[in-house]
Amino acid sequence: MSAHLSEHPSKWTLSRLHAGELPTDEATRARTHAADCEQCGAVLREAQEAQSQFEAEIPFERFEEGVNRAEEKARKLERARGSSQRWMGPVVALAATVLLVVAARPLLATNTGTGVRTKGGAVAELRIGGGEGSQRVARTDAPEPLAHGERVRLGYTPETRGFVLALSVDTAGEVTPLYPEAGESLPVEPGPGMHWLPDSIEFTGSGTERVVVLLSDEPVKVEEAIAAAHQAFELGGRDVTQLPPLAVDGDQTHWMLLKP
Amino acid sequence: MGTSQPVLRVIQGGPQEDRRAFLRELYTKHGGSVLGRCRYLLKDTAKAEDAMHDVFARALTHAGDYRAEASPLTWLMKIATHHCLNQIRSERAGWRGWFEREEAAKPEGHGGAQAMETRDLVRRLLSRVDVETQTAVIHYHLDGMTLEEVAAALGRSVPTVRKRLEQFAELGGEELRVP
Repeated sequence: MSAHLSEHPSKWTLSRLHAGELPTDEATRARTHAADCEQCGAVLREAQEAQSQFEAEIPFERFEEGVNRAEEKARKLERARGSSQRWMGPVVALAATVLLVVAARPLLATNTGTGVRTKGGAVAELRIGGGEGSQRVARTDAPEPLAHGERVRLGYTPETRGFVLALSVDTAGEVTPLYPEAGESLPVEPGPGMHWLPDSIEFTGSGTERVVVLLSDEPVKVEEAIAAAHQAFELGGRDVTQLPPLAVDGDQTHWMLLKP
Repeated sequence: MGTSQPVLRVIQGGPQEDRRAFLRELYTKHGGSVLGRCRYLLKDTAKAEDAMHDVFARALTHAGDYRAEASPLTWLMKIATHHCLNQIRSERAGWRGWFEREEAAKPEGHGGAQAMETRDLVRRLLSRVDVETQTAVIHYHLDGMTLEEVAAALGRSVPTVRKRLEQFAELGGEELRVP
């Protein structure tokens, strides 16, 4: 049939009717029309036959298996792309460093309010998600393994603190400022509850990454925080797992992440 | 300061049962349409099935986008069409030669002799136009979208879509003319 007869619904509209995605009123009109229209009825029957033939030819189990394989193939391609560069993404344009910041999709599904209370009363939290498993809050007392595709997001409850800064240190002692990338600590978001720093972060290399969130009363220059991290790395025997607290004022929370 | 309350949203990798239910929904609603598109363009049963799997794998990965679409069918068929056109190009099969081989193949499809002729004619001429025109032509002549529906699917204006379809029609004669 011609798909573009003015008195008929378009063939595409009938396809959408068959797929069950037309709004109720439009679906009723189209279905009523098709019941009395040989041409449109034939289009609907054609769609039904194509689906029936498909289901007879490819059982669901075979379909599912094929989609799973395709998903795995896509994942491998993604990993191959990810391993070729350590930083990517629209938010953080750092060349040849550590992380991938993903701005497109918020990571968080729930806010349980759990956090890691540090000595001054401020609370910081590192939440992991985006992979195959369920979301979880990273522990501070043990290294946290990351699976491929998992991302993290950082949050804090400032209590009385006024400024926040986050950075990471990798196995080689390379320090990457996360929030902010330059300048000095960001003023905290006022108000109760957990505040989340923007974007989620994906670690794409391998080895260990230590993430540090610093909540302070006064702004801290990013350069000073980086220098303090370098100094701590040396004090820890150039072993990122032994990194002592940075020599800056404020509450610090450290997490050890084991990259996949 | 960039902090704010987080947008609460389910991330990928939910319970297996939900994933399976979603996959079954895709299978029963759209399997026939997507496989049909892949077969039409790729002309190879095995490659078409693989391509279909790729399309649905992407839908699983971007389930949120699928759910947010006013027309998930349009979203899926766009992906399927792009995927197959890209595959043909990446295989460097040579469009012209590939479509010449097609002429010897048995026509497929439904909707009577004229519809089959249009499908075959479109396929034979696709290699002569750019990707966007290919996509517009497929949605218009194969999917039976109106000009407005094609324009909405491609994010182009109706006059732009019409111009591309008219250019395509110049290659193929009366039956491809846009009213």
